[in-house]
Amino acid sequence: MDVTLGLLPDSPAGDDGGGVPSGGSTTVKSILTKEDNNKNNMVMCSEVSSSYPVGDQNLGDLELGLGLSIGGGGGGGLKGKVVAGGGGWSQYARILTAKDFKQNSCSSSSCSVSIPNSATDSVSPTNGNSVVGWPPVSKAHRMPSLANENKSPTGNRISVTEQTKSKNRTVVINDYSNEKARISDKKYRSVKVNMDGSLIGRKVDLNAHTSYEMLAQTLEEMFFRRRSSTEAAKSSRLLDGTSEFVLTYEDKDGDCMLVGDVPWQMFLSSVKRLRIMKNSESNELAPRFQESHERRRTDVV
Amino acid sequence: MDLNQKRTRMVDRVDSVDPDLVSPESTPMCPFPDEVLEPVLSLINSHKDRSSVSLVCKDWYNAERWSRRHVFIGNCYSVSPEIVVGRFPKIRSVTLKGKPRFSDFNLVPEDWGADVYPWLSVLAKAYPFLEELRLKRMAVSDESLEFLAMNFPEFKALSLLSCDGFSTDGLKAIATHCRNLAELDIQENGIDDLGGDWLSCFPETLTTLQVLNFASLNSEVNFNDLEKLVTRCKSLRVLKVNRTINLDQLQKLLLRAPQLTELGTGTFTQDLVTRPVADLEATFGSCKNLLTISGLWDTNSLYLPVIYPACASLTFLNLSCAALRSFELAMLLIHCKSLRRLWVLDTVGDMGLEAVGSWCPLLEELRVFPADPFEQENVAGVTESGFVAVSRGCPKLHYVLYFCHQMTNAAVATVVQNCPGFTHFRLCIMNLGQPDYVTNEPMDEAFGAVVRTCPNLQRLAVSGLLTDLTFEYIGKYAKNLEILSVAFAGSSDLGLKYVLGGCPRLRKLEIRDCPFGNAALLSGLTKYESMRSLWMSACNLTMNGCRVLAKEMPRLNVEVMKDEDSEDSQAHKVYIYRTVAGPRRDAPPFVLTL
Repeated sequence: MDVTLGLLPDSPAGDDGGGVPSGGSTTVKSILTKEDNNKNNMVMCSEVSSSYPVGDQNLGDLELGLGLSIGGGGGGGLKGKVVAGGGGWSQYARILTAKDFKQNSCSSSSCSVSIPNSATDSVSPTNGNSVVGWPPVSKAHRMPSLANENKSPTGNRISVTEQTKSKNRTVVINDYSNEKARISDKKYRSVKVNMDGSLIGRKVDLNAHTSYEMLAQTLEEMFFRRRSSTEAAKSSRLLDGTSEFVLTYEDKDGDCMLVGDVPWQMFLSSVKRLRIMKNSESNELAPRFQESHERRRTDVV
Repeated sequence: MDLNQKRTRMVDRVDSVDPDLVSPESTPMCPFPDEVLEPVLSLINSHKDRSSVSLVCKDWYNAERWSRRHVFIGNCYSVSPEIVVGRFPKIRSVTLKGKPRFSDFNLVPEDWGADVYPWLSVLAKAYPFLEELRLKRMAVSDESLEFLAMNFPEFKALSLLSCDGFSTDGLKAIATHCRNLAELDIQENGIDDLGGDWLSCFPETLTTLQVLNFASLNSEVNFNDLEKLVTRCKSLRVLKVNRTINLDQLQKLLLRAPQLTELGTGTFTQDLVTRPVADLEATFGSCKNLLTISGLWDTNSLYLPVIYPACASLTFLNLSCAALRSFELAMLLIHCKSLRRLWVLDTVGDMGLEAVGSWCPLLEELRVFPADPFEQENVAGVTESGFVAVSRGCPKLHYVLYFCHQMTNAAVATVVQNCPGFTHFRLCIMNLGQPDYVTNEPMDEAFGAVVRTCPNLQRLAVSGLLTDLTFEYIGKYAKNLEILSVAFAGSSDLGLKYVLGGCPRLRKLEIRDCPFGNAALLSGLTKYESMRSLWMSACNLTMNGCRVLAKEMPRLNVEVMKDEDSEDSQAHKVYIYRTVAGPRRDAPPFVLTL
């Protein structure tokens, strides 16, 4: 193949090989010179393989074709300016990947290109929200209007609360005394979580959860990559014994117990740390709960 | 001053100086009389050079200490205020840094320390004519600010960066009593904003202000008073207002102060258009000396073009408060050919960064901040391709801070090949333990490429999935590395051992959540005295390991911060630093010095 150009996923309207999305504003021109071909072909192939599962069906969704020069999402006038500006940044041609469209489809510019849903899997991030002080963004460079305290899931509360603790002292003028009281009451309660086989230990805020189910889901998000978001609705695999791991905790007396047997509040008052244990090692659990665990396993079978 | 008197003065050392070099018995063989030496040495400003000078011989040590006007203390606990004032009798300017850097990310509990008050009370007696005080990560109370305002009649410049514990009442005291104030620079602090009336406390007679930065405060100030202040301070060169200042008000201020070199705007949009945008654009055009623009809150394509006339000579553009999209940034950058430093939010995306590469060939520093750092779903942001695009167009790039969600080893290798002059390379892949998303391998080779290709690398922050190999590379190749930040990385003690065994110039090492244990800690025994500090939190250190270190190295303070939910034998947060002041006397109960 001589000149390989932009890689455009099929749009739902069934456009031809031109592949211009009806959104109109987000296609990018890619011109490759002949000597770049091989290298770029390889890059393209590797990106295809990571973005889409190998299989004729999915690859068939991709079409190669030309796209128009991007002028920006704002409108015709702006577009003209950029192009007239001596080539500007469109001269730095590069290969389109599904990421470009994925990125734009998330932003405000309109785009009706459809991405095969498997594309989102390979780049789904591990949930890092329960980790204090991560990402390492200092107070100054966090815009109050963009940091989403309200919309973050409850599992985030610890890090957001702590982050906004200092931040809120500038943002919220009158609430300082409340803020300070709240923090010193230690309404958040984080415990460490370790998983067998994983070197990275994490922390989770127990007070941000109201049930075992919720806690287990947070932990699953943290330690196991989600295949798709629809699975979250089902009951947690950690708790019902279908996973190869069991969720255990260490209580005040230092005993290792299975999570889920005592009422939630009682659990909260006695838990010291959590451990996601391999099923094969669950024999070491305290005898009192060994029984109920075995009972449960036979029930499942 | 009698020459003999000075030569026999007792030597008190501030740094860990080799005793053989400066001995009390040395005979005065120096051919230069002090009258010659002191004026010559007074031309030396770098504190590192001055430290070297003081090690030459006793005469030079004395001449240096008498001629020093500015003292820089990188760790307020490494030395006591008494020692400082004992050594340097004629200081006019003090810079003090306190808490470990990870306190910016809430890893250090409140009330940890670094209170400036004990310093101020000593400084007031020794340096009544102190003019400048620059504090970073110190605990500053309103009482301290009042004390400062009342006890230093010549006081001119106050700079507070990432400090906390004070309110706008403290600023009132400064504004009211410092008759010669030239600089008031308040940045990123945990401040109690009780109102904007502090600004009105500047007396009508104050005309000396050169720097005024209150961008991080939120309360509205009295605009009339601000305008009058700006009008009468003809030497004002830096003005950074806060968000409450609107475009109309900004226009008025700019007309009063066309001589500004650094401008921080307020809110850069308006709902009701009261004045044509063209007017403001013309005003910007008349500000011929502008080198820096920041602020620009909430700006958009309608208002951003207002600053275009001022962009040609801009060297620093701070857009970290403006959530621009790629085309908005591109349109702006077309006018910014002289730009050397650029800070943006990742809303500009890879395409915005391509514009950077196209239009800013002189760029030396780029910082890309995440607009939504805690958002996990549907995040756009920037990727490796934006990074590569900048490196292609900006060969002079030597400082980068880059927050992203994905990266590849190949991209980083390309970037450093394009820009081998990196001095500061801080890459933050926000997803923990994220490998190269294309090859699924660890990111070891990326940082290996960085340390191999960039001989001038002074500062490095690593992220992503990393094994001990990364640290082997760092230890082996990063000969000039001074600051290293590590989080959630490494596979075993070996990682830390590699770093401590290499990196001859390492000064600051901060580590969190890595599997490094006592053996690794103790492998660096002899190195810690040549460093400013070491921070290790959520690693595998135990109290016993720390005790061994403390015992072997008496000139280090080995401090362990106890956490509620950690076991007694674990050392959850450890902060180790060299000091000549002995263990802290003001340590709170949760800080144990071993």
